[in-house]
Parts: sequence; C-alpha cells; structure tokens
Amino acid sequence: MPLLINRELVDNDSWQLVGEEALENNELPAGDIIVPLAFYQENSDALINHDGEVAIQLTGDDEIDGVLENPSQFPLIAIFIPALRDGRAFSIARLLKRAGFKGQIRAIGDVSHDRLDFLTRCGFDALEIPADRFSDEVFNAFSEFSVRYQGCEDDSRPVYRQ
Amino acid sequence: MYQYTQVDQQLVNERVAQFRDQTRRFLAGDLPDDEYLALRLMNGLYVQRHAPMLRVAVPYGMMSSQQMRTLAHVARKWDKGYGHFTTRTNIQFNWPKLEDVPDILEELAKVQMHAIQTSGNCIRNTTTDQFAGVIADEIEDPRPYCEIIRQWSSLHPEFAYLPRKFKIAISGGPTDRAASQVHDIGLHIVKNDAGEVGFEVLVGGGLGRTPVIGKQIRPFLQKKDLLSYLEAIVRVYNLKGRRDNKYKARIKILVNALGVDAFRELVEAEWEQIKESDLQLTETEIERVQGFFKPFEYDASAANDSSLETKLAEDQSFAHWVRQNTVEHKVAGYRAVIVSLKAHLKPKGDISHQQMDLVADLADKYSFGEIRSTHNQNLVLADVRQQDLYELWQILEEANLARANINTLTDMTVCPGGDFCALANAKTLGIADQIDAKFEDLDYLYDLGEIKLNMSGCINACSHHHVGHIGILGVDKKGEDWYQITLGGSDGEDASLGKVIGKAVAADEVADTLAKVLSVFVEQRIEGERFIDCVRRIGLTPFKENVYAPAH
Repeated sequence: MPLLINRELVDNDSWQLVGEEALENNELPAGDIIVPLAFYQENSDALINHDGEVAIQLTGDDEIDGVLENPSQFPLIAIFIPALRDGRAFSIARLLKRAGFKGQIRAIGDVSHDRLDFLTRCGFDALEIPADRFSDEVFNAFSEFSVRYQGCEDDSRPVYRQ
Repeated sequence: MYQYTQVDQQLVNERVAQFRDQTRRFLAGDLPDDEYLALRLMNGLYVQRHAPMLRVAVPYGMMSSQQMRTLAHVARKWDKGYGHFTTRTNIQFNWPKLEDVPDILEELAKVQMHAIQTSGNCIRNTTTDQFAGVIADEIEDPRPYCEIIRQWSSLHPEFAYLPRKFKIAISGGPTDRAASQVHDIGLHIVKNDAGEVGFEVLVGGGLGRTPVIGKQIRPFLQKKDLLSYLEAIVRVYNLKGRRDNKYKARIKILVNALGVDAFRELVEAEWEQIKESDLQLTETEIERVQGFFKPFEYDASAANDSSLETKLAEDQSFAHWVRQNTVEHKVAGYRAVIVSLKAHLKPKGDISHQQMDLVADLADKYSFGEIRSTHNQNLVLADVRQQDLYELWQILEEANLARANINTLTDMTVCPGGDFCALANAKTLGIADQIDAKFEDLDYLYDLGEIKLNMSGCINACSHHHVGHIGILGVDKKGEDWYQITLGGSDGEDASLGKVIGKAVAADEVADTLAKVLSVFVEQRIEGERFIDCVRRIGLTPFKENVYAPAH
C-alpha cells in the first residue's frame, strides 16, 4: 500500500501490520511489527523478546488513557480509521501529541485524498493509502489551502495569533 | 457587519477550488459515491426529490444588500427564480444542477458568501437573535462571538467528521430569541456578580427524534475562554459520542447517557489541559471583531418625528402592521421591521428573486444596507427610522412582503416537506395553505394573540415542531400523510417540549382540528392570556376532549 511519510512517498517501510490470523495463532513475523493495543496489553511480557520493534495500533473504541500516560514507550502508533465518517482518529492523534509523543503517528484504514491535509494537521506524519485510492493527485491535498483559522498540531497559533 | 479579511477571502476561494476539484473527481469516477456524499454535504449540497439542493450559509442571519442581490442572481441564473430561508437562517436553492454548483459557489465567494458546513456531520452555522445589537434587553451584542465561532469552526481539522451534526446558538440576553435551549450548545451572554460579561453554557439540547432541553454545564465562562471551552466540549463529543447508530449520535444522547455531571467532569478535565493554550481569545481579537458590529451613525433627529402618530391614526392596516411586524429599537425614533415571508397561501420562508432584489434596495434606502434572516423564516430590516415606516410598508405591501401576521398563527415555520425533501414522510405546503385559508381573518388572528405554529414533514424536526406552541408533525401511515399535533412547546427562555394531544389526524382535518384547539383557548383563557400560558395553566385534557369528542 502506498505510504506517505511527511508528505512524500516512501518505499522502504520496515513496519508490518500483523494480520488477525497471525495474531490469533500468535505467529508474529520477525522484524518491526504493529499490533493492536489489546494484543499488546495481553502479550506485553512476551513481546519484550520480539525480534524487532513493536508498535501499537489504536482504534476509536480503545481506552487510551494508559497509552497517554507514557506514549513514548512506542516508536510508532498507528490509528485505524474504519470508515470515512469516523473522525475519532483526528482527536486521538492530537491527544498523543499533547501527551508528548514524538514517534510516528500513522493513519491506516480508510485514508484518502480529502482527509490527508486535516490528518497531517492533527499530527499524523505517516499516511497509508489503499492502492485503489492512490494517484499522483493525492499530493495536491496538501496545497489546497494556504490559509487556516485554527491552531493545530502543525502550528498551535490560531488566525488571531498569527 | 463583518467584512472579510484577505485570509477569510482566500479560505473561501480555496474552498470553492477544492469543491470544484472534488466534483470533477466524482464526475470522472475517481471519487466513490459514498465519499462524495459526505464531502458535498459538508458543502451544503443535498440530492433531493427533483434535483440537488444547495444550502448557502447566512452566518448568524446577517446579509448585506449586495449579498442579497447575489442570492437573487443565483436564483435567476441557476434556479427557478426563488430561494427558501431555513430555521438555521440559511437559504436553500432547490433546483441547481450538480455540475453548476462550483460556479454558483464561485459567484457567492465574490460577495463573501459560502456553503461551508451547512450540512454534514460537522459544526453548522451559529445562530443568534435576529435583533442582536438593536434590542434594549440584550446584555451585549452576540454577533462578534458568532463570527469568532464561525472562524474557529470553519474547516476545523479535528472536527470535520463528528458523530453527527452540531449546532450552536447564542442569546445576547435574558430574552431568548435564538432557541438556544434546543441546540447542541446554547450560549447565553450573562453578567456575573462581579459585573463581568461572559457566557452561561448549556449543552445537549436538540430536537429531532429525541427532543431534549439543554442542560447547564457552566454558569459562567469568561469571554477569553470561549473557544477553548467549545473545543473541549466538541473533543469529548468527537471521542465519546455514539457512532454505531445515527439516531443516537447527537451530543444530547451522550450527555443523557453519562449524566450531565459526568459529562461536565470530562469537559472540565479536557478544558484544564487547553484553557491556557493559544486558543485563549485575545482582547485585541475580540475588539477587532466587535469593531465590525458597532452601532450605526443614527439620525439624531429621528426621535423628533411626529408623522408616525398621524399615519397610525389614519390608516388602520398600517397600524396593524406596525404593531405586529415592527419591534422597538434601542435608539429612539427607530424600529426594527420584520419582512414577512409568510404571505397568504405561499410556501413559508420562500422568496422570489424579484423580492430579494427589492429587499436589497429597501435595505440600502432605509436600513444601512443590511438584512437579517430569522430562525422563524422571516427577514428583518433592523434599523429603520420611524418616519420611513409608512413608505416602507407601502412598498412591502405591494410586493406581498407585509402580511401583518408576525407572531400569529399564520406566521408558521414550515419546512419544504414531502414536496421537495427526500427525507420527509409527509407534505407540509398543502397543510400550510389549508391553515392559511381557514384562518385568513386577521381580526380573529389578532384576537388569538401570540401563537407559534411549527410544522415539520418528518421526525428530523427541521421546523422545530416540538417547540411550537402548536406543533404539527407529518407522519406516514400506509402511504398516506397524517399529522400529529402537539401543544405547549416553546423555544424561548421558558423552553418546553410540546406534548402530543392524541392520535394523528388526516390531512384534510388539520385546520379543523386547530380550530377545535383554538376554540378551547378562546373559551378558557383569562383576559390577556397568551395561548401557551393557557395551555400550561389548564393542561392538555380540555383540548383533547374537544378535539377527540365523539361526533354527535
């Protein structure tokens, strides 16, 4: 799947999102992996010995207060967007940023052109776009607006402080 | 009124270009239907029974004469020559072509107008008192705060995909003409014991399927904290609001599920984190925006007028109009004029392109070039010298804009209903005509006094039927339109939800049923008592008994 990091297409991504079947069988691939928060919590002891780095995937339904207490224990946090209309990821990313998270925040799931700019402004630096929704046009998403009213994670100053 | 800065203009222009591109990608097959649906809704574009419907924002109901002329132009060029004002004080065009919409938006952008967030699951147009800035009983003009909220909420990167739509209203003082208690957030400008002006904050009001009166979560909020507090509320809602069922997705459901105290704790905890951030409003910004809403340079000699007295004595029709359709202005010698969009047997809230142009001209000539739309689907010329009233009335009368029925039974608030709206269960326009025809006699209407009649064609309650003194809800029964009647609602400072009086009545019985309701009122009322007060005093039983009495 095409992956944009800091608005540029990258092809050397080391992270693997572990699929459901592998999770159920506890057959984790070697290398850097992304696992759901619940799986991580249940298996955190075993994961210490994983051969590679371990990142978590959050969804809007997860209780994330625990993660927010120490997000920087993770090198990367992915947030799953199940559907276009589900806007929780935007707030979750901002909460992670506010909690001091400096690692990569990656959007996965229903990620496409018309949300890329807002996702970026809310703190996502990596955007994984399904192949069928990707074209060179998506890069236009970042330059559709040259002005904005609100402060956000890219620049905290609202228009009246700019 | 507010004038765009370069940033405001740029943002609206870029939104037009963005929407043009989204529409291009959709028409080229690159954007799935479902995705374009969400995107077009966020720009006010619905697909209705006959054609797309474009809802253009009228921020807190304020329009310049130039903007009104552009609306007339849009109606002429891209629609069938008319528009429809809504209870969110916006205007809808019912017949544009989808592929023309980017051009319409470009035309609107030239006069500082847009359709941003007039639909969709995002923060909608903030509404307020149609007499803001000219009425004596307000504590402070709420419009600068509406504008500040407009900017904060426009294209907010975090809040574009909320669980459901989100509506904010501000009342400038103790008399609530903004229906603030039935909004997702209601703000009341108040003065605290120290004499500081700020906001009382209500949350979780709303109509639709589950009508709820808003609950106070903060008795006093300082002005500088306005946006940080709103952001805290909306963030909590965005994270915790239900997304599994769209009928349970409004903030009112969340507030009720958690209880207002638990909800308040979440909001206050979130607010603690951000109240000292850059979101805090600066004095300079508040003053900058207030600068756009300064009182006009009123004619000091206006108060010396004696012609009005004479005309009132000479012309009874004029006297009725002045009594019903004008409101006292805080400046002596001026009055605020309500332009009735409730003409006899005409769709309520509709206005033709000729009428739009005329109102624009009248605004220029008599009211400092500004026009307001009201949440009851009328227009207001807020600053008219009393000596000009007679001339203005004559022109409005000629244009069918002076029906002297404001705040009477036929000043109905009515959604377009099943004739236009794809969501509606029943038609409304024919029923409104039936009521008009039955209650044509103005003397009878004046005798009945203040009555607010709201009629919605479906449970979505666009016309706020729950808070009408009389509410009518269209329902579908096996393919036929039936109408459920509620009594005792109010959207004012004494907000209450109407109660259903009994089983729905058939389409041809609505006006007759109202007549039965009103005959109970006429019989039972105490001298000078308003309909709503009578309903509250005697309860529903006498009304039920008369409406559902077995035929003799």
